[in-house]
Amino acid sequence: MDASILLALRDPAGVPFYPVVFQALYVLTWALHAAFVLLALGSMGLSLYGTMKQKTDSHWKILTPHLIQTGKISVSILIVLGVAPLLFTQVIYDPNWYVANTLSGMWVFIFIYTLIVGYSMYYWYYYANKSSQGGGKLIGLISFGILVFCGILMHNFAVTSIMPNDWMDMYAPNGVVDTSGWTFNIDILRLIFMVSLSIPVVGIFLQNYARFLSTRENFSQEFISHASSLGTKLSVVGLLLSAATFVLWMIAIGYLLHPLSLATVVGVVVLLFLSAKNTNSYITTGVLVIVALLISALRELIRYDIMGQLGYSIYDYPVNLEIPTLLMFLSTFLVMGGVGVAYLLTMAWKVGKTQGIFDGSKDIWVNKLGTYTISIMVAWMVIFFGWGMTFLFKNIL
Amino acid sequence: MDFIGQFPLFYFPEYGSAWIMGVTGTIHILASHTSVGAAMLFAFLAHKAYKENRTDLYPYMKKYGMFLLIFSYVMGSITGPGIWYTATAASPVGISALIHNFVWVWATEWVFFVYEVIGVFALVYFMGKIDTKTHLKLTYTFALASVGTLALIIGIISFMMWPGTDAYYATGSASDAFFGINTFPHMFLRIGFMIMMSGVIGLVIASAIKKENQSLSAELTVKMGYIAMFGGFITLFFFMWYMGTLPDNAHAVFNITKDEVILNRIILAIVFSLYFLVAILKPRFINPTLASVMIGVILIFGLWPGEKLRESMRKPYVAGQYIYSNQIVSRDVPGKGIKSELPVIAQKGLLQVNPFVPENLKTITDSNRLEAGELLTKIACSNCHSLENNGKFRPLAARLQGVDKDGIIGILNAMGAGAFPYMPTLQLPQDEYDAIAEYLVSKQY
Ligand code: HEC
Ligand code: HEM
Repeated sequence: MDASILLALRDPAGVPFYPVVFQALYVLTWALHAAFVLLALGSMGLSLYGTMKQKTDSHWKILTPHLIQTGKISVSILIVLGVAPLLFTQVIYDPNWYVANTLSGMWVFIFIYTLIVGYSMYYWYYYANKSSQGGGKLIGLISFGILVFCGILMHNFAVTSIMPNDWMDMYAPNGVVDTSGWTFNIDILRLIFMVSLSIPVVGIFLQNYARFLSTRENFSQEFISHASSLGTKLSVVGLLLSAATFVLWMIAIGYLLHPLSLATVVGVVVLLFLSAKNTNSYITTGVLVIVALLISALRELIRYDIMGQLGYSIYDYPVNLEIPTLLMFLSTFLVMGGVGVAYLLTMAWKVGKTQGIFDGSKDIWVNKLGTYTISIMVAWMVIFFGWGMTFLFKNIL
Repeated sequence: MDFIGQFPLFYFPEYGSAWIMGVTGTIHILASHTSVGAAMLFAFLAHKAYKENRTDLYPYMKKYGMFLLIFSYVMGSITGPGIWYTATAASPVGISALIHNFVWVWATEWVFFVYEVIGVFALVYFMGKIDTKTHLKLTYTFALASVGTLALIIGIISFMMWPGTDAYYATGSASDAFFGINTFPHMFLRIGFMIMMSGVIGLVIASAIKKENQSLSAELTVKMGYIAMFGGFITLFFFMWYMGTLPDNAHAVFNITKDEVILNRIILAIVFSLYFLVAILKPRFINPTLASVMIGVILIFGLWPGEKLRESMRKPYVAGQYIYSNQIVSRDVPGKGIKSELPVIAQKGLLQVNPFVPENLKTITDSNRLEAGELLTKIACSNCHSLENNGKFRPLAARLQGVDKDGIIGILNAMGAGAFPYMPTLQLPQDEYDAIAEYLVSKQY
C-alpha cells in the first residue's frame, strides 16, 4: 500500500487539533482500558477456580463472590474506558481503523452481540453464585470464554489495522473482491502476552484487596494473609510468564533492544521484585500503571513505525483547529470529571473502610464534593443551553 | 487527485450493512432512553422517599430499580459503542466525518460516561450502606449526568440529518454544526420519550410489587401513569416541531410512505394513551406481563419503524448533507477545505479513483465487464439497496423488475442528472453505467 493511497484515506476535514495530543491521549486511555480488561479477565478466571473450592474452603467462600463482583464491575468500566482510545485512534489513524473494520465487518457485528451475550451471562453467573455456593460454574465458564473471545476479536482489529501491505490481498485475493467482512488475523505472541498479563494484574489486585481490608475488623487475619499470599504467588508466576512471552514477541518483531522495550523489561523486573516482597502493594500498583503506559506506548511505536516506513506520518496530518469544543472538553474533563470522580471514589473508599452505615452527610469532604458536583453539573447545563442559543440566534436571525 | 477516500466495502448479504446497523441502533435507543429514564425515575423516587420520609419506598427501589438501572445502563453502554462499530463497518466515511468534526464533543460525553459507570454501581451497592441524604445527592448527580450524555450526543445525530443552517459549510465550526435548527426540538423529543420510558418501566416495577404491598403498588402505578402520559405528550409535541425542522430531501422520502407512517403513529398514540389512562384510573388492571409486553410493542412498532424512517429521511446523505450514503463527498465545505468528489468521479470513473479496486478491474473490458459491474453496483448502490433477488432492504429486485438494459441505463443517467432527490447525483462515465446495467440485467429481477 503506497503513501498516496494512505494519504487519500485520511479525512478531508483534517484533524481538529495537533496530532501529537491525540496520540498522547490514545496511549494514556488505552492503558486504562487495558488495565481493566486485564483485571476483568483475571478476576473472572480466578473466580471460576473459586467456585470449585467455595463449598469446602472458608477463604474461597468469601473471596469468590468478591472476585465475581470485581469482574462484573470491571467489564463495565473497561467498556467505557475503551470508548476513549476508540475515539482517538480514529482521529489520527483513520485509514487503518476503517480498513480493519470494513475488512472484518462481520466480526465487528459479532463482537457487539457476543459482548452483550457474554456480559449478560456474566450477570446470570453472578446471581446463580449468589443464590447457591459454588453455583453458576458452567454459565460462568461460558461467559468467560465469550469475553475472552471478544478480546481475541479486538486483537484481530488491532492487528489487521497495522498490516497495510496485506490489505489488498485480504480484500481481493487473486483479484477477486470479497465483501463478506470475514477477515481475521492473529499475532499469537502479541495476543498471548496481552492476555497473560491478566494473571499478575489479578495478583496485585489481591494484594491491594488484602491491604485495604486489613483495617476492617470483620475480616479475619487469616483470610487477609491467605488472600495476600495468593496474590503474591499469582503475580510472581504471572510476571515470569508475561516476561517470557514479552521477550519472545519482541524478538519476533525485532524490537527487543529498543529503549522502550528495555524500559518495559526493567519495569517488569521491578514489579516482580516489589510484588514478591509485597511491603506496600499500593506502590506496586503505581509501578504497574507505569508499565501499562510503557506497553501502550510500545504498541503505538510499532504502529507508528509501520506507517512511517510507508510514508504516512500522523504529524503531517493537516490541522483544522477547533477551539470551542476543545475548551468544553478540557473544562469538563478537569473540573467536572476531576471533582465528580473524586467525589465518587472518596465515597467508595470510605464506605469500604466503614463497618455498618457510612454517614456521608457528616463527612466534610464527601459532603462538599457532592455539592460541588451538583453545582458544576447544573452550571454545565446552563452554559450548554446558553452556547446553543447564542449560535442558533446568530445563524437564523 | 488520484484517489478518493474510499474503503473496502463490507456488504451483509440480503440485508445490507446499513440494516444491521439499524438493528443495533434500535436496541440502543430502547436501552439508552430507558437508562436515562430510569435515572430520572430513580431520582424522583429517592427524592420522594427522602422528603416525605417514606422509608417503605427504599426496599422496592433496591429490589427492582437496581436491576433495571444496571441492566439498562449496561445494555446502553454496550450498544452505544455497538452502533458506532457497526456504523464504522457500514459507513466508514460517514463516521469519519462525524469523528473529525466532533471528537471533542464525544470526548466530553466520555467524561460523563465515566462518571455514570462508577456512579451506577455506587448508586446501587451503597444503598443501605450510606445515609439517605448522601444517597439522594448521588441520585441527583447521576440523573444530571445521564441527561448530559443526551445533550452531547443530540447535536451530533442532528447533524447527521443536516447542519440546520448554512453557517457550518462556511465556518467549519463544530458549534455551527452542532446547534442546528433541529437540535433542540430533537433533544426535547427524546427527553419526552425518556420521561415516558421511565413511566413505562415504572409500571413494570409498580405492578410487580402488588402481592407484597397492594396499596403502594396502586399508588405508584397511578403516578407512573401520569408520568408516562406527560412524557408521551412531550414526545408528540416535539415530534411535530421536529418534523418541521427537517430539510426538503427528508420530506421527499417521508412523502413516499407518509400515510402509512402517520397511521402507525396515530394508532400508537391511541393505544398508549389508553394504556396510561388505565394505569391512572384502574391501576389494578396493570400487571407485569402486560407492562412488559407494552415495552416490546414500543420496540417493535415504535422504535424499529422510527429508526428506519430516520435512516430513510437522511437519504441520499449519511452525514451533514455533504456525504452520500455510498461514502462519496458530494459538496464543497470551504470551512474545512473539503472538496466535492463528484467531478473527479464523473471524469475518471469510480473504478479508477477507488483505491481498493484490484488492478484487473480498473479498466473495463469485455471479459471483466460483469465482474466490474457487480463491484460498481455494490459500491454505488448497496448501501441503500440490497442486490439479491430475494433481498430484504429496499431491494433493487422490486424496483427494477423487468426493466431492460436500456431502461436501466436511462435510470442511471437520470440519477446522474440529479432527477431523484433521495438518491445521490452520481454521474459516471458511460462504460461504468454500461457495466452496472449489464450486471443488473444479468440478475434477471
Ligand atoms: C443514498 C441511498 C441510495 C443509493 C446510494 C441508491 N439509492 Fe436507489 N433509492 C433510494 C431511495 C431512498 C429510493 C426511494 C424509496 C424506495 O424506492 O423505497 C430509491 C429508489 C430507487 C429506484 C426506484 C425509483 C423510483 O423512484 O421508483 C431505483 C430503480 C433505484 N433506487 C436504483 C438505484 C440504483 C441502480 C442505485 C445505484 C447506482 C441506487 N438506486 C443507489 C436510495 C438510494
Ligand atoms: C470484553 C470485552 C473486551 C476485551 C476483552 C478487550 C480486549 C482488548 C485487547 C486485548 C486489546 C489489545 C489488542 C492488541 O493490541 O492486540 C484491545 C484493544 C482495544 N480495545 Fe478492547 N476489549 C474489549 C472491549 C472493548 C470495547 C467495548 C471497546 C470500545 C468501546 C474497546 C476498545 C478498544 C480499542 C479502541 C483498542 C485499541 C485498538 C487499536 O487501536 O489498535 N474494547 N482490547
